[in-house]
Amino acid sequence: MNHDINIGKVRTNCWRQSKVDGEFMLQLRVPGGVIPVEYLQYASEIATKWGDGNFHIGTRLTLDFPGIKYEDIPAVNKYLKKYIKGIEEDLCGVDMQKLAHEPHEWDEDSGYPTIGARNISACIGNRHCICGNVDTTDMARKLEALIFPSNYHIKINVAGCPNDCIKAHMADFGIVGVAKIDYHPERCIGCGACVKACKHGATRVLSLNELTGKIDKDPCCCVGCGECVKACPTAAWSRNPKKLYRVILGGRTGRQTPRTGKMFLNWVTEDVVLGVINNWQKFSAWALDYKPVYLHGGHLIDRAGYHEFKKRILEGVELNPEAMVAEQMFWHETEYRSNFNVKKPEDHLTAGPGSQG
Amino acid sequence: MMNNPVMPIPCEILKITHESDLEWNFRVKTDVKPAPGQFMQLSIPMVGEAPISVCGAGDGYLEFLIRSVGKVTNVIFEKKPGDTLFLRGPYGKGWPVEELKDKHVVVITGGTGLAPVRMMLDKLYEEPDYCKSVHLISGFKNEEGIVFHDDLAKWEAGSFETIYALDRDEKEGWRTGLVTTFVKEIPWKEFDGNYAVVVVGPPPMMKFTGLELVKNGVEEEKIWMSFERKMSCAVGKCGHCRIDEVYVCLDGPVFNYTKAKYLVD
Amino acid sequence: MSYFVTTEQANQVLSKLLETYDVYAPKRFPKQGRFSDTDIIRYAKVEKVDDIVYDEKSDFPAKEVINPIQQAIFYFTEDEFRASKGHTRPILLFARPCDINAQKVQARIFMDNGGYQDLYYARMRELINFVLMECPGGDDTCFCCSMGTNKTDNYVMAVRFGEDGLKVEVKDDKFAPYFEGAAADDFTPKFVEENQTKVTVPEIPDKDVLLALKNHPMWREFDKRCVSCGACTIACSTCTCFTTRDIVYGQNPEVGERHRIAASCQIDGFSDIAGGFGYRKTAGDRMRYKVLHKFHDYKVRFGEDMCVGCGRCTSRCPAYIPITATVGKMAAAAEEIKKEQGK
Repeated sequence: MNHDINIGKVRTNCWRQSKVDGEFMLQLRVPGGVIPVEYLQYASEIATKWGDGNFHIGTRLTLDFPGIKYEDIPAVNKYLKKYIKGIEEDLCGVDMQKLAHEPHEWDEDSGYPTIGARNISACIGNRHCICGNVDTTDMARKLEALIFPSNYHIKINVAGCPNDCIKAHMADFGIVGVAKIDYHPERCIGCGACVKACKHGATRVLSLNELTGKIDKDPCCCVGCGECVKACPTAAWSRNPKKLYRVILGGRTGRQTPRTGKMFLNWVTEDVVLGVINNWQKFSAWALDYKPVYLHGGHLIDRAGYHEFKKRILEGVELNPEAMVAEQMFWHETEYRSNFNVKKPEDHLTAGPGSQG
Repeated sequence: MMNNPVMPIPCEILKITHESDLEWNFRVKTDVKPAPGQFMQLSIPMVGEAPISVCGAGDGYLEFLIRSVGKVTNVIFEKKPGDTLFLRGPYGKGWPVEELKDKHVVVITGGTGLAPVRMMLDKLYEEPDYCKSVHLISGFKNEEGIVFHDDLAKWEAGSFETIYALDRDEKEGWRTGLVTTFVKEIPWKEFDGNYAVVVVGPPPMMKFTGLELVKNGVEEEKIWMSFERKMSCAVGKCGHCRIDEVYVCLDGPVFNYTKAKYLVD
Repeated sequence: MSYFVTTEQANQVLSKLLETYDVYAPKRFPKQGRFSDTDIIRYAKVEKVDDIVYDEKSDFPAKEVINPIQQAIFYFTEDEFRASKGHTRPILLFARPCDINAQKVQARIFMDNGGYQDLYYARMRELINFVLMECPGGDDTCFCCSMGTNKTDNYVMAVRFGEDGLKVEVKDDKFAPYFEGAAADDFTPKFVEENQTKVTVPEIPDKDVLLALKNHPMWREFDKRCVSCGACTIACSTCTCFTTRDIVYGQNPEVGERHRIAASCQIDGFSDIAGGFGYRKTAGDRMRYKVLHKFHDYKVRFGEDMCVGCGRCTSRCPAYIPITATVGKMAAAAEEIKKEQGK
């Protein structure tokens, strides 16, 4: 078939090229993976009117509609207006007239303005889950307003607890709800249920003190999951009401250097998390010298180096007293090609002014 | 101040006899006069309390056979004569000694189950005319587990008919086999119905001995057993020893078999 | 004599009462629940009327005030035990009828059983004055009417909480002066007459039926379902079981405390004797032991069922095992056995 399509531009509007000639797949943002059910009428309409009658739950919890003809894209984009405004503006408080925090006119009939900031994935969190420590939906929506719209890439996964079902360890930023646990020894009967639960499901930080009949804890290695709270028959353990988070940095998949993220921040407040993510646009702009390219966010951290990244991402962020920050960061990549990073100096990728050619 | 039934009273240890490596007999100075088969709570500050049956009594003292099996008893084993043990009690209902009068008495013990009947056996030994005859079957796991060597020898030499046995091992003058295997050797027919049977030992031993006795035609209401249960208070409050409506610490530890057979934990 | 007091007046009465009494009532502990952002309501000292949670059943029972989860019973040195001093100020304890009736049940064990009176329970019980909280109806776990524990006259005052104030019946005259000048009212407390949930306690006519019931396969269901955490017994209004534990501090201690700590027949090890032998090694056996105690064994000994139908065991069970359904299954099994045995 004879098409004249700017695939890059279409992709920026969240349309993915299909192997089927002339067809594209739309990806609808679903921040945190939760939307009011009335928005499914849009899904139904798009799939039946323009698509192939199916939708796919995207790997980042988007609603995907394959089998849409290139020619129909303008009509679908126009139809999306209500969905985008409802989800992004009303639900998440996104300012659609900005791009990477700078004023930028958005034509509301033109569909999604950018694909860079990927849909924020989240588990169902403590709105439902018995393990969840935090409201992941709420966090995802707050983060959405900080990263979207933007052409700078970032993948954020929000996990309600350290069990990390949403794989915060595989995203540029993994935000994990953790709880400092309060002990009420006067309610403790020394039954050891928490010790067993921690041993079975967490990091073995609890032990029964034979002299006192109470529980000893190695707080250093506590992951803040709350399994002890769940296991306790007397409510001798409780989650401290102050909501805290762990931030996992630099996880990714990919053909070159997949790796699991490492702990960047621990026991930080929501304000710290939002402050860090708010700096992402500025950091990315600096790293790419204000020339956005289709490049996953984690690579920018590599180019800048961890220390430079840390300095810039924590700029102006006031850490809470409990906060811990990684002094160093030693990722362990899967190097499909051995010594993958060893190459001629002129081939090294760099960050900062003048770095992007 | 109200009376406090769980208040431990300090008592001096007079003598410690090593019955076996793991089982030591503690003689403690006290004027308390328990009935045979009753128990007391032994207490060591910092360690805790344990119910121990009284295994012997004399003028101004009581004896307790203590097995080193846990935290509490490990510390008790560090004590020396002159040191303090804390006691409270006696508790529970002991052996129906009156019931045994002028009867043929059969006593079957397993391991340290000999301790709770030792006081009663001594009485029967001291007063040979109290009952018509005494048959004693005492089984132990192995040679190391034998306790009260001197008493066993004394009773064997005296008027008791004795069968001493090790579960599997051989020992000169001793039999080999579980105590249940010797039940049929008791001349039940010669007793003409005028007998009483006392059984005490580990729970499985008592269960199977009970069944074996009934199989040999022994009447249930003539069998008595002593139960060992976990206890914390010994005064019917803590609930650990309860079986059905029965509190072993209050209503036992000695039960008639007609009752005992229904006491399924 | 009954009165109506505004919340403000009630707070003034309360602060006057606090000069003489410690006041315990159900209180909300925000976000201390088993799951994130859930609360716990349990008994604690209160100083304001607003602190009292009256419209929701507490997660933990009133017994915690009288018979706490943990208490020091002795202080000791190597040569001496000294009984702990205990509470001295009289107590006003806000409680619903189930919780008040539960103290009759606990008292039979602590004050009477075996002829021994427990010092620690007795001295605390002496200090207690119940303030009846009129029950607004409980929830779907409640079955007090089935157990006959929906009513009580064992209180010094009765209270009905409302939006704009409290209605109070003063039954014990010594509290009348606190209400001098308050508006008279004709309030008397109402009692719940019917619960949404009903329970029929099985008739177990003799030991043979009991034995067969103990061995009935119905208990095996709980081997897998019940997690043996003991939350039901801690939440129970009537469970009294405890264990004794000596507590010492430091490496070479010469002094310490002997504590009484709540114990649960549902937790493995409850029946273990020295040497490691234990009874009831499966969750199903432990469930059977508990349920028969509440709905049969206690009654054989003391003449009344132990359970007061507060339903807290059901509410607190992390495995969704409701006591009411279990008793129903037990009743069905008992009927089946009686038919088999021709009884």
